[in-house]
Amino acid sequence: MSNSRLNASAKNQGRVFTIPGQVVSLVVLVTPLLVALYMSFTDWSPTRSSLSGASFLGLENYQELLIYDNRFLQAVGRTALLAVICLSLEFVFGLALATLFLRTFRGQRFLFSAFLSPMMVLPVVVGYTFWMLFQSNGPVNQVLALIGVTSVEWFRDSSLAFLAVVVTEVWHWTPLFFLILLSGLNAVPENPIRAAVILGASPRQVFWKVVFPALRPVIIVAFVIRAMEVIKIFDEVFLLTRGGPGSATETISLYIYKLAFNDFQLAYGAAAAFLVLAGSLLMVHLLMIPVRDQLLDNRG
Amino acid sequence: MLNRPLSLWQIPLLLVALALVLFPIFWLVMTAIKPPIDWNASPAIWIPSEPTLINFRTLFDPAAIRAYGVGGVSQAATKAVVGSIVASVSATFLAVALGLVSAIGLSRYSRTNWSTPLVILSGRMFPPAAIAVPFVIIFSLTSLMDTYPGLVAIYTAVTLPFSTWMLKSFVDDLPREMEEAAMLDGKSRIMAHLTVTVPLIKGGLFSTTMLVFILNWSEYMFAQVLSNTELATIPVQLAKYVTATAGTLYGVQAALAVLAMIPLILGGFFIQGHLARGLTFGAIKK
Repeated sequence: MSNSRLNASAKNQGRVFTIPGQVVSLVVLVTPLLVALYMSFTDWSPTRSSLSGASFLGLENYQELLIYDNRFLQAVGRTALLAVICLSLEFVFGLALATLFLRTFRGQRFLFSAFLSPMMVLPVVVGYTFWMLFQSNGPVNQVLALIGVTSVEWFRDSSLAFLAVVVTEVWHWTPLFFLILLSGLNAVPENPIRAAVILGASPRQVFWKVVFPALRPVIIVAFVIRAMEVIKIFDEVFLLTRGGPGSATETISLYIYKLAFNDFQLAYGAAAAFLVLAGSLLMVHLLMIPVRDQLLDNRG
Repeated sequence: MLNRPLSLWQIPLLLVALALVLFPIFWLVMTAIKPPIDWNASPAIWIPSEPTLINFRTLFDPAAIRAYGVGGVSQAATKAVVGSIVASVSATFLAVALGLVSAIGLSRYSRTNWSTPLVILSGRMFPPAAIAVPFVIIFSLTSLMDTYPGLVAIYTAVTLPFSTWMLKSFVDDLPREMEEAAMLDGKSRIMAHLTVTVPLIKGGLFSTTMLVFILNWSEYMFAQVLSNTELATIPVQLAKYVTATAGTLYGVQAALAVLAMIPLILGGFFIQGHLARGLTFGAIKK
């Protein structure tokens, strides 16, 4: 990487380039995070005391969260379930759509843009739009009535509300899988495919034996990126269900938000956040081991 | 890969998929042009018989809707629109400018190891609700709550890792020899980068700017927890419908949503070629 003619002193001078960005990140991001980390070991709450007057609890908040806080543990489980369901559906739909786009047809460019458009819609707008679609007198129920299913109350029933969140999320982000998988499919070398076809492989065999292995790193990248986002999911759910009914659709982010900004338990909320961060870092790290060289080496 | 036309059974499949993808957007746009009487009609009205622009006018002149017998409960969106533009544009400018400098530094003068992308990615993994907690505390101590500088600072810091990493992937694509030649010609290091590197990554710079803008423009939670009376952005204004006591102004909200969406759909269209790279942090090139 470094075998250029730039010598060592140039390298040192060049370090200056990264300083402004580092300073901004340090002041604006790292400092608050360190404050929050300290806070997560205390019982601080803005309604009770100043930060210095809070008593130090050590790991008590973390212990409480991991052992006794059922609402937190349920939110974690629910977010994981949401992630598994949404990502599987997005992968299947995205792959199906990408395969269609390997064919050639009229209006392909236009349709490509059209299929990407959901990704460009603001999450709050997606939440608001699907909230309208799932109203009891909304278009979804009108269509369901055509096949004899009447008066579905999407936001009053726990499983239906969860389903509404899944539908919303799948609509919003299937295009990302489509985009990533299509660029992956287009990059699969043609010669092995031709060879396999000449040797008499069936389309199914060509896909599983030739295309799929070449596509694997791309699939992992897509899953990692989406998993990171789905763990944080907030805007759509907040506008769609506010976590309800009860806590049927309360994800990790919604729980932390309610802790911090409705109940003002900032210290406890910070502890929950650091647990989530630790968990997602571990998960992403494990998932990315097979593809990290690809991500690191930007030369492609 | 293998260029073949669609099979017969694939055509209806594609059309159904297209309908499903476009329907929510269609519904939103239709709601935005419905007169109040159609907003929440039972059964729902798909295409208004008398389309109107009253919802868009009401955004900037809340009294306009009174002509339709609605009690004028809406709040003008002018402030939110201006606020969104101010916050997104300044934060995007700062994040891209700082990111460009860092990207050149990282690409040309540093060794990046495996921890670099992980550090950058971890910034994107932390739930915003959690980052918001320390911000609220620090900002109340420094009286940055409910101010644009405060919001711009957060947006800049949150999108900086993203813009740095994306721009780095474009700088990495350039051969170093071009900059080195300019330096041998007697140009200073900074001038060499300004006159050689930057013009060569124009396209990448534009795409990065657009993507950072999309992130800032869409952001909801930070703006929500920081804003009180001074600060307003479009997503915050949009979310207010949930708490509106006087009933929901479907059409007016939809009009605001459509306005918010237009720049992103257009922008997304222009940068389609770089979308995969941007959204995968450079892991996928095309």
